[in-house]
Amino acid sequence: MAAQIRVHTAKRSSPQRKETHGLGLAILFVLPAAVLVLTLMYYPMIRTFYESLFSTSFLNPTPEYIGLQRYSDMLHDSDFWQIVQNSLVWTISVVLFQNVFGVLTALLLNQNLPGKSLMRGIVLLPWVLPGIVAALLWRFMYDPQLGLINSILISLGVTTQKTAWLAEPGMAMVAVIVAAVWKGFPFSTVIYLAALQGVDQQQIEAAQIDGANAVQRFFRVVIPSISGIIRLNLLLTTVFTFNYFDMIWVTTRGGPLDSTHIFPTIIYEYGFGKFKFGDAAAYGVVAVLILSVFALLYLYELRESIRGRAS
Amino acid sequence: MKRIGLMLLIVILAIPVLGNVGAQGDDVVTLTFWDNQQTESGLSAYQQAAVDEFEAAYPNIKIDVVTVPYTEYQDRLILAVQGGNAPDISTVDQIWNPAFAVAGAVMPLDDYIANSETVAEDAFFPGAWQSAMWDNQVWGIPFNVDVWQFSFYNKALFEAAGVDPESITTWDGLKAAAEALTDPDAGQYGVGLFGFPNESIVVVVDSFIFSNGGAVLHEDGSCALDEPESVEALNYLVSLIPYAPEGLLNTKNEDIRQLFLNGSVGIEWWPALEQPTLQSSELDWGFVAGTAPEGKTPVGTYGGWNLVIYDQSQHKEEAWKFIEFLTSKDVNGKVVDLIPANIEAAQSFLAENREGADMILEHLNNAQPRPLSPNYLELSDIEQQMIQSIFSGAAVEDAVADACSQINDLG
Repeated sequence: MAAQIRVHTAKRSSPQRKETHGLGLAILFVLPAAVLVLTLMYYPMIRTFYESLFSTSFLNPTPEYIGLQRYSDMLHDSDFWQIVQNSLVWTISVVLFQNVFGVLTALLLNQNLPGKSLMRGIVLLPWVLPGIVAALLWRFMYDPQLGLINSILISLGVTTQKTAWLAEPGMAMVAVIVAAVWKGFPFSTVIYLAALQGVDQQQIEAAQIDGANAVQRFFRVVIPSISGIIRLNLLLTTVFTFNYFDMIWVTTRGGPLDSTHIFPTIIYEYGFGKFKFGDAAAYGVVAVLILSVFALLYLYELRESIRGRAS
Repeated sequence: MKRIGLMLLIVILAIPVLGNVGAQGDDVVTLTFWDNQQTESGLSAYQQAAVDEFEAAYPNIKIDVVTVPYTEYQDRLILAVQGGNAPDISTVDQIWNPAFAVAGAVMPLDDYIANSETVAEDAFFPGAWQSAMWDNQVWGIPFNVDVWQFSFYNKALFEAAGVDPESITTWDGLKAAAEALTDPDAGQYGVGLFGFPNESIVVVVDSFIFSNGGAVLHEDGSCALDEPESVEALNYLVSLIPYAPEGLLNTKNEDIRQLFLNGSVGIEWWPALEQPTLQSSELDWGFVAGTAPEGKTPVGTYGGWNLVIYDQSQHKEEAWKFIEFLTSKDVNGKVVDLIPANIEAAQSFLAENREGADMILEHLNNAQPRPLSPNYLELSDIEQQMIQSIFSGAAVEDAVADACSQINDLG
């Protein structure tokens, strides 16, 4: 940022004094933001990594240096791999379905149907609902005895058994994924709706004249036009989902038998359930490393899309 | 202009100094006291009335009472201690007390006790006093106690099924009653067994093990869950699963309470602290003390809270005065929603506020504590996972063997 401003000022005015003045001013403007980012983001991150190198817990507040021992233990721990597996299943499923539903509802809302504006507002409801409220809502709906879902299924005659959606190790993950997709897909809808409105209508009409049917128009014209946005949204929702804590914590707390524990919930449990701050920190560092890959991809995509627009 | 600015600056700089002078003159100390609320008994209001009484007796001490919901209490306390913002005084669960002592979060109280006129070991239930001991020092003063569990039953359902409530104090009787009361098609379940992994299921399972003559740890600290008495108790609990509501692994005792209150569950397990909730409901209920095999006495699991003074406190002397006040026989019963830990206070409290006072006292006296260890929370976590495995179908013998190997590794 500072470098860019310096280049601009250098172009506009040649005298050395003015250039230095411009640089100083740029640093002055950037400084408050930089200080905030450093203290609120980078310091805690570095501190977390530092903490993970020590054996610290509530019981042993005096840190004992253990280096990378914890990381090597973690890699040999089946619980860790279960968390990784759960996180992958959770993130991939939620992101995939959120985006598919997002595109489909966006297409629907992009049509000139009566009550379009009202529907656009209603579809946003799950997204604007506070996370804890949404999770409690789903916990009640999944309740085997009092829940809405079982009572509907039983009254429709689909089943006679009361299914314990959140209490079966195989079923619980599916149940929380469904709830998370419901909560998150309106975000994708909004993004895709905005993207669809930017699709060139002339191209669609041209394709129509050339004899392309609706499916062909969608895959050959619409999707390529919004592919940049799709990639960006996939990355964003991946980061959101990977870090999504409330839904799982409120509905299952990572259970039953750890079958729904993902990185954020296990970090919380280690930190505050078991007072093992070092372990919590180590899981936190691994989570940051995994997310960094997505963050880098996001930055790359962002740069590409800016370049695309510029050219 | 410059002069006015300078004067303004001087005035602004002087304000905090002048403020301090005023405060020193008053010499008022404000103590922060944290407690958690487990029932709907209106505890905060009672505590505030006691605080007013204390402040009238000690005009130089003000008490700031912070009541935290039970579910987030532990997290908030740990965060406060770690962040250097610990309260002066708080209640801590008996099972946390050794850990708080070893962590250096709280201070030993032996010197204060030696010079106290009101706080003495024999004024409190022995199990409660024991829970505050670690390394031959006393780290907390018992505040309240209770025992897991009493079997609360729905009188109407029992009458309809023709079950004698007294029969459920034996294992065979409980199972027969559970069977008679269960009708899944009508959405009715005999027994409110739950399996969500938290401390509530640990205390219930422990009480079944204790009632069968078993233990969680041997006296030498090694795991006793693989002993025949424990295995038998766990197998017995598994045999109750068909009579419990579906979704055992994700069901909490609070969920069971909802089902009990709406008449879907015949028996629920809680400490005596459940009484205020049931009294405010329209349910016709009764209760018996625990369940044991034929010929054995039901043994409950001890629970309760101790008052501690934090090492970070700047006002330890004043904090001690407040603890003496809260645990005295005249006040203790007015500031708790469990049972006062002060024996004299407990007797009058139970007579006034609880049904079946004698039964509660007897069950309290028979109760056994959970293992007192700074590693208790890890131990409890292993037990919770073991219970979840067993309730999800794992063989009891395999699950206890696995749990014992983990517990023995804790050292």
